[in-house]
Amino acid sequence: MNVEPISWWQLGLCMIFVIIAGTGSIMLKLRLEKDLAWGTVRTFAQLFLVGYVLKWVFAIDHPVPVLLLYVGMILAAALNIRGRIKQRQIPFFLPTFASMVVSYLLVTTLVTAVIIQVEPWYKPQYFIPLGGMIIGNAMNAITIGLERLFTDLRKRRAEIELMLSLGATYPEATEAILRDAVRAGMLPSINALMTVGLVSLPGMMTGQILAGSPPMTAVKYQIVVMLMIAAATAIGSIIVVHLVRRRCFTRAHQLRV
Amino acid sequence: MKLRLDKVTLRHGDAAPLLAEVNLSLDPGDFVLIEGPSGCGKSSLLRLLNRLQEPASGQLLVDGEAVIESATPAFRRRSAYLQQTPVMLDGSVRDNLLLPFRIASTRRSLPSDQTLRQWLDRFLLQAVKLEDVAPHLSVGQQQRLALIRLLLTEPELLLCDEPTSALDDDSRRIVLEALQQANLETGMAIVLVSHDGLVLDKVQPRRLRIVDGHLEEA
Repeated sequence: MNVEPISWWQLGLCMIFVIIAGTGSIMLKLRLEKDLAWGTVRTFAQLFLVGYVLKWVFAIDHPVPVLLLYVGMILAAALNIRGRIKQRQIPFFLPTFASMVVSYLLVTTLVTAVIIQVEPWYKPQYFIPLGGMIIGNAMNAITIGLERLFTDLRKRRAEIELMLSLGATYPEATEAILRDAVRAGMLPSINALMTVGLVSLPGMMTGQILAGSPPMTAVKYQIVVMLMIAAATAIGSIIVVHLVRRRCFTRAHQLRV
Repeated sequence: MKLRLDKVTLRHGDAAPLLAEVNLSLDPGDFVLIEGPSGCGKSSLLRLLNRLQEPASGQLLVDGEAVIESATPAFRRRSAYLQQTPVMLDGSVRDNLLLPFRIASTRRSLPSDQTLRQWLDRFLLQAVKLEDVAPHLSVGQQQRLALIRLLLTEPELLLCDEPTSALDDDSRRIVLEALQQANLETGMAIVLVSHDGLVLDKVQPRRLRIVDGHLEEA
């Protein structure tokens, strides 16, 4: 390891950045000082907490704590999705959570076991950060997809009921809406494939380079990550949007929202 | 097809029921006119008969039996529902008229352009071309297109929510004539909802009113 360590004293020096941002907020009366202070405290607390958990999981080196942590991360992401979507009539939390667990475990394991061929496949140094990137990106994709689904179901209600009244089944009546929702969820990660490296250097690649990896190794890892994210957001959006759409209709093909 | 509403109650939230224990029997060849002020539950009654909505209590019986939930789409094809505000999807007049035929699960065979043309002409839509963009047409034109779209499917029961509200006198007369003719010639049962009295000269409709959530003979 040839990373320069950061001492507590150096970390404290970072408060300069908080003071700079805070002064700006006070001078322009943005009233963001409180949020900034609270955000800073949370950043320290959350990251140190994660740090200790990771240290503990790495030390045990057993699949159970790794998978528990992984499922915990998905739970946090699913709760975040529920909080961001303003829709209380349709219970979408459970199908979202369940399909995220199944599909992301699959993609992450595929990456560690088959593509990178880590020994053992659950090695937390690989499994957790790769899984984290999948979950984070897929969380956004699913949120966008579900938001679009709910908005369209409400906005295009007359159109859907026309199709239903003509004898269409609910999948037939919402074919276009489903497609739009899945597309909306997948687009950001596909757009990212187009601009990666041109607009900004991806975080993981930057991290690896900072940690002393040869740039080409970092680049290869980044490619794996980008493609893995594209697949994960696709699977996630498709499964979740399908399952949730099902719940927006009664068994007699009546719109619920 | 015999259709029956058996003690059907419908309410929105905690409000007083919009329809309270309503009974209604519809037989083939029936022509029913339902009147009442706007907001009295006329539209909801039609939605119940197309099963777009589920009652709070009571049930809808087809030939004496409740419709199995999964068979609802097939039931709706027999009991066609004309929405109060005509809905046209993006696309041409032809696309919109053929919409019921393009729903894969319905397996209906496509009518020819010539047939479509005849229907348009009959409803005083000579100026409308099959290639025209349907949502760009006037509400009155769309209202007639929506009705043609349903008549083409030859349903056993036709539920019309204010089918002439946006029409001038000539078009209104044509529409009412076509409905009466379909009723007399094919035995198509028709339920017509309207807030003002409609003049029917060929059939003797059953006239019903909704008063305080109850269905009464007018």
